[in-house]
Amino acid sequence: MTAVVAESLTKRFGDVLAVDDLSFTLQPGTVTGFLGPNGAGKTTTLRMLLGLTAPTSGRSLVLGKPYTTLDRPALSVGAVLEATDFHPGRSGRDHLRILCRTVDLPDSRADEVLKIVELQTAAARRVKGYSLGMRQRLGLAGALLGDPELLILDEPANGLDPEGVRWLRDFLRAFASTGRTVLISSHALAEVAQTVDQVLIITHGRFVVESSLHELTSRVGGSVRVRTSKPEELKEALHREQLEASSDQQTLVVRGANTDRVGEIAFNAGVPILELVAEGSSLEEIFLDLTSELSS
Amino acid sequence: MIAQLKSELLKVRSTRTTVGLFAGMVGLTVLIVLLTGLLTHPDDLVSKHDQRGLFAPSAVALIFSGLAGVLLITSEYRYGTIRPTFLFTPRRGNVLSAKLIAGLLTGLVFGAVSLSLAIGIGSLILSARGIPSTLSGSDFAVLIFGGLAGTALRGAFGVGLGAILRNQVAAVIALLAWDFVVNTLVFGLAPSVGRYMPTPAADALMGLKTPHLLSPGAGGVVLLAWTAALALIGLALTLRRDVT
Repeated sequence: MTAVVAESLTKRFGDVLAVDDLSFTLQPGTVTGFLGPNGAGKTTTLRMLLGLTAPTSGRSLVLGKPYTTLDRPALSVGAVLEATDFHPGRSGRDHLRILCRTVDLPDSRADEVLKIVELQTAAARRVKGYSLGMRQRLGLAGALLGDPELLILDEPANGLDPEGVRWLRDFLRAFASTGRTVLISSHALAEVAQTVDQVLIITHGRFVVESSLHELTSRVGGSVRVRTSKPEELKEALHREQLEASSDQQTLVVRGANTDRVGEIAFNAGVPILELVAEGSSLEEIFLDLTSELSS
Repeated sequence: MIAQLKSELLKVRSTRTTVGLFAGMVGLTVLIVLLTGLLTHPDDLVSKHDQRGLFAPSAVALIFSGLAGVLLITSEYRYGTIRPTFLFTPRRGNVLSAKLIAGLLTGLVFGAVSLSLAIGIGSLILSARGIPSTLSGSDFAVLIFGGLAGTALRGAFGVGLGAILRNQVAAVIALLAWDFVVNTLVFGLAPSVGRYMPTPAADALMGLKTPHLLSPGAGGVVLLAWTAALALIGLALTLRRDVT
């Protein structure tokens, strides 16, 4: 069974077409980054998937059914749409116990998920004393209550400090490594690049790219910087593989290939590699190129 | 449904909001009974009508039950907890039904406490001042049963109003304006119409005999009709509207 199916999802708010005929499928066990600039229609799409907002046309299935017809969906789908959806005067533990009651989970489950997100020491405190990072983790704890097989998170890294981002990345990796499915939205590709294995990029409610991260990098031409003691020989070897490289003494910059490919070519050509780096900013540049191309 | 109700009741208990409203209601009830009982001339505390007025939780408990009901739903929209609530229970009719029952129960508790305080303190004052009790057992039965039914319905009434308006400040102002301004004005200017408004209907339900009020039974039916109407409109809107 597919984890998520969207069929021609469309949402119109008055004159504004927020989501324009989006169709996509998520297979179980994948980690998908749902990307686009702010206002691209990501949150509206997620709300439609989760039954909070009715599509103007089209439909979506979550684990084979429309979300609103799932019996106790929280036991198979965990979702967080806003990091701030808490009553400030209520403790974190009570927030979770309230959710537990609706699906007949024992209160002890609240303490289990608080441990997973490392909030157990703050559990009895009122949420108004929580930092943004703690709120993000409490939201995640709520999504994990039902031990779901599908996790849908809207901008979970927003407002996190670098340590929080790393914690989230490690958590999502561990979650996905058990064969479960993750859909995570973000306005910054770099934020999720190390976590996701495929990306859906939208802008103005429409798809720009739907591919694996690997494909995206090679297709749009990410660059690889390689330093070698035999730059001329490597340049020739690359040329035989239809790859262009600009050189500056020992360092070549190769566009349209990833580090795996360049490394293999160098090995086959018997060229020693002294340094091999995927250019860090290239992904973000691709993303900006893609999303601004369509808006102009 | 039972599960959802348990969740709603924990929502009510787990913040200080309802407790604060409850404390406010207790304080005001005690203050009003003390002032009325101690400062009113003995001649104006003798008739059944006077004594009902002293014991009835009337305005205070009705207002606070309504406010508790309003906050039960509008705080979810205000703080965004409505999103996790609907994610866990996408059948929104179940959520709203559970909230209506939670509103009824909250109003019932408010009414029970307010009535106990008013009747307890009021009786003590009457006997201390040597004024004989003139209310019969059946008068008390109407007062107590009607008072509990009135505050319970007002709790659900508040939930219905809150479900329609969603915005907390707007809903609180609407409730207070309706009670203090609209009801009072319409009842004062055109009592034959005004007696069908929610607050005069609730007064009638408790057996108050202010001129122009309906009979207790008719008052109960009218208040029930108002509550049901608000609940149904609130339900229809909740099912239709997008949650953003």
